[in-house]
Amino acid sequence: MTVDVVRQPVIEARDLSKWFGEVVALNNVTLSIAPGVTGVLGPNGAGKSTFIKLALGLYAPSRGEIRVLGEPPRNNRRVLARIGWCPEVDHFYDHTTGFEFVYWLCRYWGMSPRSARAAALEACEMVRITDRMDDPIDEYSKGMRQRIKIAQALALSPELIFLDEPMNGLDPRGREEMYALIRSLGDRGVSVIVSSHILYEVERITDNVVLLVGGTLIAQGRVRDIRELIDRYPHTIRVVSDQPAQLAKRFAGDPGVFAVETRGDTVTIRTLTPDDCYETLNILAVKAPGWIRAIECADNNLQAVFDYLTKKTVSGV
Amino acid sequence: MNDSPVPVVLWTEATGNAPSLGQQFRASLEHAFIIMTRRRRFALAAALTFLPALVPIMESFFGRSVHALMASELFTRLAEKLFIDLLSPLLGLFFATLLIAEDVELRTISYILTRPISRTAWVLGRFTAFLMAAAPILLVSLTITALACGVKRQGFVLSNVNDFWLFGHYVAVQTIALAAYGAFALFLGAFSRRPIVYGVLLIYGWQRVATFVPGVIDFLTIQKYVDGLKPVLATQRNLVSIQTALGTFQREVFAIGAAKAMVILILMIMVFLGASALSLRLREFGGDKTAGA
Repeated sequence: MTVDVVRQPVIEARDLSKWFGEVVALNNVTLSIAPGVTGVLGPNGAGKSTFIKLALGLYAPSRGEIRVLGEPPRNNRRVLARIGWCPEVDHFYDHTTGFEFVYWLCRYWGMSPRSARAAALEACEMVRITDRMDDPIDEYSKGMRQRIKIAQALALSPELIFLDEPMNGLDPRGREEMYALIRSLGDRGVSVIVSSHILYEVERITDNVVLLVGGTLIAQGRVRDIRELIDRYPHTIRVVSDQPAQLAKRFAGDPGVFAVETRGDTVTIRTLTPDDCYETLNILAVKAPGWIRAIECADNNLQAVFDYLTKKTVSGV
Repeated sequence: MNDSPVPVVLWTEATGNAPSLGQQFRASLEHAFIIMTRRRRFALAAALTFLPALVPIMESFFGRSVHALMASELFTRLAEKLFIDLLSPLLGLFFATLLIAEDVELRTISYILTRPISRTAWVLGRFTAFLMAAAPILLVSLTITALACGVKRQGFVLSNVNDFWLFGHYVAVQTIALAAYGAFALFLGAFSRRPIVYGVLLIYGWQRVATFVPGVIDFLTIQKYVDGLKPVLATQRNLVSIQTALGTFQREVFAIGAAKAMVILILMIMVFLGASALSLRLREFGGDKTAGA
């Protein structure tokens, strides 16, 4: 007998809107986020933080509804007991050390002093800040502050964790460690919602994304699914060639190609039929080896997809 | 950040029952107490609160008046005018306004509101921390003042049962006044962005005016009920004639009994604390007022 494990969504939003006076922060968003690691992407002002704060219950929806772990989150202690949050902006108590900060937030979660101490210590170890955890937060660098904020969220061992721009302020090594940590959380069955405006960051940790622009949901799904959305739109292919002029001439007449640019030894081809272009390039690579030294699909990076969708939305196309 | 497996449950109790209200209350109390007592302003407030103790000492050594007050009379005046009417609301404004307002200003309130902590337990914990920090300061200062009143004077020594009873009475009134003003200040901190400004205007502005204006408008002040608890009779304490540039007006005093005053003050404290907890449930503390901030 096969048992289907129904994976209940961790977040469900229906017609969710939030406005502040005349400013619409989130507009009619309907989505469902499954367990696992999900990236909430969008440029600054897209409504990412507002969406997260609605999910945390810090805001009440102006219209529509949001359910987290099956229940409305606002003032709901059952939901709050199962979630953790690392805010984007630094908010700390005055005259407090990193350890104390995590400890007290554990206590507010209802832990006994002993449990809170153990959980705070373990969380500090997890983000590798034990050597500085007894120093005042005022003396922390931006990266250390980021770590201690993440520690307070991890210390609660939540089922669902919201990380709002967690890579902010981290150095390259710290970012790599953060990617590994988030993937590790996902592997352990913790659902993680990561907001970011840098698509490369999200691409490193998950294939599941939600794209928000101007408070509106643009797309949701796997990165590759989202990329399929734009297959009918121009793709950009860069080719490094010893014969850029000949190569440009070769593609200039192709029916799907609408622009070819040459800069130095690089030819940039913009096409509506990328598959045809790649086939031609493969043939050329075999027949005329000097013509093609390297091929780079500029759209491989999620950033290109994101930029494309963003521009389309902003321009109203 | 290390790559070691992340424990799914660090806190094993998390899988069981919800945290008890007692633990939440205790966490709020202990944290608020630590935050409060670490501040420089706490030491400053404590130092200021001890200044009244110097008054009887200075007066006894340097006072030349033939109408020098008896020790008990001096203590009564200092206890009522300085400790109950001035310092109790001042300490309330100094500390209790910040109990919630500071968390809102620092935006640490968002951490609290994303914890499964009862808003009421949190507010009560903070309020109790305020009382635990401020009441001993007032108590010690009042005790020193009482002892100082006996220096080189007749008529008030704490070894006397009646004097001790009077002293105890003032301690109780002072503590209740502190609680009432503290609850009011906490409420202002929960609802407004400038709680100290509004607190000064209401307590030292509105309240003073209301107690001088003829009629029953003074029933809308905390002081009216605090006055009702004081040992000295209302008719002796209240100003019945008001002298102005336009002439002298007689003011009728509507006294209130101690029992009623006590009940009303307790109700006030409960309403202010309840409203503060309610504000935490209703207000939005996300911090950003613009899209996507």
